[in-house]
Amino acid sequence: MCPETWRLLPAEAAERRIAQRSEAAGGMVADAFARHLAPVFSNGVAALAVGGFGRRELFPHSDIDVMLLTRQEISSTKLKEPAGRFMQELWDTGLRLSHSVHTVDECCQVYDHNVELSISLLDQRFLAGDSAVHAELETELPRFYRMHGRSIARQLAKLSGLRRAKFHNSIYHLEPNIKETPGGFRDMQVAQWMSRLLPAYSAPDLKAPWAFLAPIRVFLHEASKRDDNLLSFELQDAMAGQPAEMMRSYYRHARTVAVAADQALLSAEESQPSLIRQLREWRSRLSNSEFTVSRDRVFLRAAGQLSSEPDLVFRLLEFVARHGIDVSPDLERRLASASDEIAKAALTKPLWPLLETVLSQPKSSVAVRLMHRTGLLGALIPEWARIDCLVVRDYYHRYTVDEHTLVAMEVLESIPDKRFADLMQEVDGSALLRAAILLHDTGKGSGREHSSESERIAAALGKRIGMPQHDIDRVRQLVALHLELSSTMNTRDMDDGRTARILADRVGTVEQLKALTLLTFADISAVNPTAMTSWRGDQLWRAYVIGREELTRELETERIHDFHGADTRVARFLEGLPGRYLRTHSGEEFAGHAALAELAEEKGVALDLVRSNGYWRVVVAAPDRPGLFASIAGALSAFGMNILKAEAFANSNGHILDTFTFGDPLRTLELNPSETDRLRDTIARVVLGKQDVRKLIASRRSSAKPRRVEARIGFNNDASQSATLVEIVAEDRPGLVYDLASTMSNAGCDIVVVLIDTEASKALDVFYVTAKGAKLDAARQASLRSALMEACSTGRV
Amino acid sequence: MKKIEAIIQPHKLEEVKEALKTIGIDGMTISEVRGHGRQKGHKEVYRGMEYQVDLLPKIKLEMVVPSDRLDEVVNTLVSSARTGKIGDGKIFVFDVAEAIRIRNDERGESAL
Repeated sequence: MCPETWRLLPAEAAERRIAQRSEAAGGMVADAFARHLAPVFSNGVAALAVGGFGRRELFPHSDIDVMLLTRQEISSTKLKEPAGRFMQELWDTGLRLSHSVHTVDECCQVYDHNVELSISLLDQRFLAGDSAVHAELETELPRFYRMHGRSIARQLAKLSGLRRAKFHNSIYHLEPNIKETPGGFRDMQVAQWMSRLLPAYSAPDLKAPWAFLAPIRVFLHEASKRDDNLLSFELQDAMAGQPAEMMRSYYRHARTVAVAADQALLSAEESQPSLIRQLREWRSRLSNSEFTVSRDRVFLRAAGQLSSEPDLVFRLLEFVARHGIDVSPDLERRLASASDEIAKAALTKPLWPLLETVLSQPKSSVAVRLMHRTGLLGALIPEWARIDCLVVRDYYHRYTVDEHTLVAMEVLESIPDKRFADLMQEVDGSALLRAAILLHDTGKGSGREHSSESERIAAALGKRIGMPQHDIDRVRQLVALHLELSSTMNTRDMDDGRTARILADRVGTVEQLKALTLLTFADISAVNPTAMTSWRGDQLWRAYVIGREELTRELETERIHDFHGADTRVARFLEGLPGRYLRTHSGEEFAGHAALAELAEEKGVALDLVRSNGYWRVVVAAPDRPGLFASIAGALSAFGMNILKAEAFANSNGHILDTFTFGDPLRTLELNPSETDRLRDTIARVVLGKQDVRKLIASRRSSAKPRRVEARIGFNNDASQSATLVEIVAEDRPGLVYDLASTMSNAGCDIVVVLIDTEASKALDVFYVTAKGAKLDAARQASLRSALMEACSTGRV
Repeated sequence: MKKIEAIIQPHKLEEVKEALKTIGIDGMTISEVRGHGRQKGHKEVYRGMEYQVDLLPKIKLEMVVPSDRLDEVVNTLVSSARTGKIGDGKIFVFDVAEAIRIRNDERGESAL
């Protein structure tokens, strides 16, 4: 399309060319006016340049906007013929002219449907004709803008909002339209117009972005020979030796412009009449002793030094991430100018605990975006700076790598597909999932395969910022496998059992599979706005379901055998436990549990009760006997504890290891330390059969609350060779686990493996059971189903 | 000229595209579709519940080829898309009356 020798003009040369074209066009309009309109209208009519022509910013193929300004209304019959000749002459010279005819009075009125007229007059200048008419307009306009500037500004803000939404409010398009995309010429003009419409707002100096963008726009017009402002890959290559570097500079300038436009649009909103403003003030009730929320923005109450108080900055970020409200423009400027000092002060301590509180919040993307815009994210995590504005060309990708990552984080906060939205509610460790998203593409641009490079970065970063080893392992696995589900759904036969086995083998646990599914959903959705079709959503869901089925099946079938790399005591304890145990526990825990099991061998029971992260956890080791799991669950319920998660595993030596994670809604244990001992003692006594758990919970009242989740119970005899899989989804309530487990025990079933999970108000329970050492036959399944349904719905056993 | 419409398994797309490329066919339209033939969907188990999935995800390929290349293209499609199991898909062949390149109004096989 363009000769190889073409390169961008220097900024001054581009500026000269633009000004020259404006001058030349102005001369042509004046000549045509003198020939065709002046002879008919000796006074009362003037030709004005408006819009870009008025600003003397005519790019090589920009349209030319001319207004014929009249003192009084002129009949169309009188005007039509000379105006027609005037236009014709200009068209014939090759100018693309649009024109309008208005009286001075019309120019000084607000038109709801033609706010463009009022805006174009901000840039008007006289070209030809009766200068006295123009002088009248010049006198009237300042008064007009004083009176109506605010309402015009709000209209302009509305139109700008619509325009920017077409580009998903993002500057980071790989092939941007440099006029219309946020951060482009239009945003620059919006900032300048607003400073003339709103006395309270003044536009920052945007000369540098203009000088960067103008030569590019001249080039685009000359290459396409029309008013085409799309900076395509092809033209990026044509205009720059290092197109990727040029684009990085482009995004940095565009960011400056977009921030200026954001602030201009915000000022227009603030000029709203007080009643409407008050309606938007409802969120001000979120204000606390440190932060005020006003006009949907967060302000800092104390005028503290941000740079010397990194904890305050992170409390601010947590607040932003919890409520999804951005900070005020002034506070953002302060964060940006202090970002390096804030990072320096913050990095004197491990970063992860601070970052984790931000990433655990439901609207964390708002805070991460803020950190990105202010440079704080790159200052805290230099690995992030490597993908800042990074262009990786790909036909399907719409955004730069950093923007893709941020869009992916946003996707998780408003998932349109209910299946995946439910999964998001269930995911265990949302901060880790978000950390994995943040890092999944940091290896791009390294020249090496990006998944493994990103994994390497995640591992090194996690260690440096003080992430616990178990969390590092989870994040790096998610990063390493972030293309695994895409590849499963696109290139593997999901009807083939081997596909599920490979997937289950690589992912390891249901918890990681859920996180990986969400990461994949977000990653695909953030490629471009139409990438996540419902067809792809179905395929991804299918991949998740087959993986989950396989992992549930393996709970019972995949057992640890001849474990190497541990002493004989530990190996003996591990022998015959489900493989899941290895993937969800650390080497330290293996040893601790083995010791517990040894103690249990001697005493009949051993238990470990600890409190962590606001929850309690009890690990119980004992020789197996019927009804054990139900007894422990019952003891916890009798103490008013709310079971959130539970696992029951048995090894080949006939020993069980049951783990319960539970909440203490009435803070019984926290407020009465002696109750902790009593709970320990009670569990030991029910395990040893010295106390009847039924008596303990006899006084417990059944819950009379209406059920919102309909109970579902499924049986599967194909999942394992020796046991029946029972899956139960029911509304969670205190005592449910005990009710279900004791129903099974009462029906003569032995519980082999258990995995209990609760998500929101749902209990998701997986039991592997046998009756007299065999799978459950149809008759026993039917009777157990109705007993379990009864337990789910009435809360009575 | 013949129009070929092939409904294939999604995971076979890359292999089929690659096979067509090796015989010089790289112009085609690809759509993500749902449907079923004799396969009649399948049962999916999620959280203990069985769901009947009636419409299965498939890929539809459409291409127009000169009549004398029909057999070669169809054979390539069959061999690269086959797994031997139910659900491998179908191929339909239609006669094409005319092909027109919009850019320059070129007609017939040279417009392909």
